[in-house]
Amino acid sequence: MGALSLSGVSKSWGAVTAVSDLSLDFPEGQLTALLGPSGCGKTTLLRMIAGLEAPSRGRVLLDGADITDRPAHVRRFGMVFQSFALFPHLSVAENVAYALAIAGMARRDRLAKAEALLALVQLDGYGDRRIGQLSGGQRQRVAIARALAQEPSVFLLDEPMSALDAKLREEMQVELRLLQQKLRVTTIVVTHDQREAMTMADRIVVMNRGEIEQVGPPQEVYDRPATAFVAGFIGKANILHGEARGGAVAAHGALFHPERPAAFRDGSPVTLACRPEAVRLGRAAREGANQLAARVSFVRDVGPTREIFLDAGPATLTAELGAGEREPFSVGEPVFAELPPAALRLFPRAA
Amino acid sequence: MSVAAAEAPPAAAALPAPRWGRLALTGLVALLCAAPFLLVLVISFGEKVEGGSWTWGLTLANYERFFLGHDWPNALSLVYPQRLWFSVWYAALGAAFALALAFPCAWAITRRSRRTQAAWLAFILASLSLSEVFVVMGWDVLLSRNSGLPAWLKALGVTDMLKDGGWFPLLIEWDLANPRDLKFKTSGFATLLAMTYIVFPYAVILLYPPLSRLDPSLAEAARTMGARPWKVMRTVVLPAVRLPLIGSALLLFVYLLGAYVAVTVFTPPEKQTLTVTIYDAVRGQTLDAPFGAAQSVVLLATAGLCLWAAARAGVRR
Repeated sequence: MGALSLSGVSKSWGAVTAVSDLSLDFPEGQLTALLGPSGCGKTTLLRMIAGLEAPSRGRVLLDGADITDRPAHVRRFGMVFQSFALFPHLSVAENVAYALAIAGMARRDRLAKAEALLALVQLDGYGDRRIGQLSGGQRQRVAIARALAQEPSVFLLDEPMSALDAKLREEMQVELRLLQQKLRVTTIVVTHDQREAMTMADRIVVMNRGEIEQVGPPQEVYDRPATAFVAGFIGKANILHGEARGGAVAAHGALFHPERPAAFRDGSPVTLACRPEAVRLGRAAREGANQLAARVSFVRDVGPTREIFLDAGPATLTAELGAGEREPFSVGEPVFAELPPAALRLFPRAA
Repeated sequence: MSVAAAEAPPAAAALPAPRWGRLALTGLVALLCAAPFLLVLVISFGEKVEGGSWTWGLTLANYERFFLGHDWPNALSLVYPQRLWFSVWYAALGAAFALALAFPCAWAITRRSRRTQAAWLAFILASLSLSEVFVVMGWDVLLSRNSGLPAWLKALGVTDMLKDGGWFPLLIEWDLANPRDLKFKTSGFATLLAMTYIVFPYAVILLYPPLSRLDPSLAEAARTMGARPWKVMRTVVLPAVRLPLIGSALLLFVYLLGAYVAVTVFTPPEKQTLTVTIYDAVRGQTLDAPFGAAQSVVLLATAGLCLWAAARAGVRR
């Protein structure tokens, strides 16, 4: 129970298209993160899955059955909202037991179950509190427990961490992931935070402008971004614009050879991406290609790593070195930045 | 202007000014709010002088007359407590009807686009400019037997249908018909209709802010947990706006306690409210200011009592 698929789903309001012709499978028991910048249609997609929004076109299927026309109160997918949407007039336990009360469970039974759910999210003994007496992190736990009370076939979370501070957010990401693995419930999390997506998800769906850019496990999406957008959105990337020349890319007066020759027609515009941690710096040019003369413009120590910002003519690059690495580069120093062939990702670019 | 004041350094003179200003303002507000009430309170213990005047006094006779009747202890008359009861009854029902109608309207307005919301609110605010007199005049025409609703219903054959259906005895009992025709005027129905109509825009304006502030995801959360629309309304929306709802009900209730024109035009004489008898005592036929003042004090105390009871009930839960 809980394999969800979307087939050709679109949503538009007049001339505005939020989601366009999107097909996607959510495997049973897995946690999928819908990741993208704000306005990319990820929340609209989640709301269509919940039944809170009707798709303009396309079908939603649960275990093969068409549920497109089933209203939210029949689907009963547990959902955690960005604002948590806890009912202020009910106690913590009554909030958690709400779905059970609607389903007609006897008061004593549902409060007992609420207590068990609160224990699951480490809030035992908080049942009698008012919502106003809880901290942000506790509210989130209550929202999670409440959404899980009806044992939903699909568990939905809309930006669940955005109301929490940075430290708590990291803790809750791990905790939520552990809880999901324990319950093995099909889970879909909407987020704009790539760290959050990478921490929690089995699979990441990167969305942009209502369309899917890439679907894959976190590490794969990070290591092998399918598009320039994904390369720029997931983690940091140095982006250079150039043109194809004999299987390599000419950009900013240098020639960059990828691991395998690129299959672009000569002269066609190409975008080139390279992760900052892959960039190697040296004081003198080395043998071979893939090097760009640059000048250090800024150095930043951020705990475990050191970021070197480089000026290379019109382009700017960032190199990320382990803090342990020797060679302290100083501002103004001329250097050579090498972008190793294995680290280069090439994408076609509209002229 | 004294010499000392003219010679005082400007800075020193400027500093105490705000304090005096505040004191003066406080005094003015106290005077405007408290003085009329205190005057009425004092007069209510005074005595009537034949010919329309009154003198200071310290008698409870006016209150005794209100609660026990003119001829006590020979005979007990509850005319005035009954009038008070009608005041409370009409005001409570009018407020309740107005809120019951305004709630779905305000709810529907908050679901619209911002532009549409603004247009609706402007329209409703504009309708607030209609005074009680205008509203009553309008309904007076609409309900009149020769040119209003009863005439239309007769022309449409509804009157005959009701007659044939055997509804007339019931309608006559409710003051809504005489043996020949439907008649809506001078009835509790017309009174309540006018009162509801008068406070309806206020009710919408009062309910709009809490409803538009309500986080829409509260209702959505309830839906994802299996609640049908009506259940969402009953278990989430209404409880979430319970306090503003009670507050609005009280405001409309107190406002309607003072309704005068609607009552004089639409209410059968034997069911009229305290506002009418107060006016009669102070300005009208009886010319008995102390007794009018005593009635006013009782009406005011009743309003205060209702506010206090509702506030307590509201806070307790």
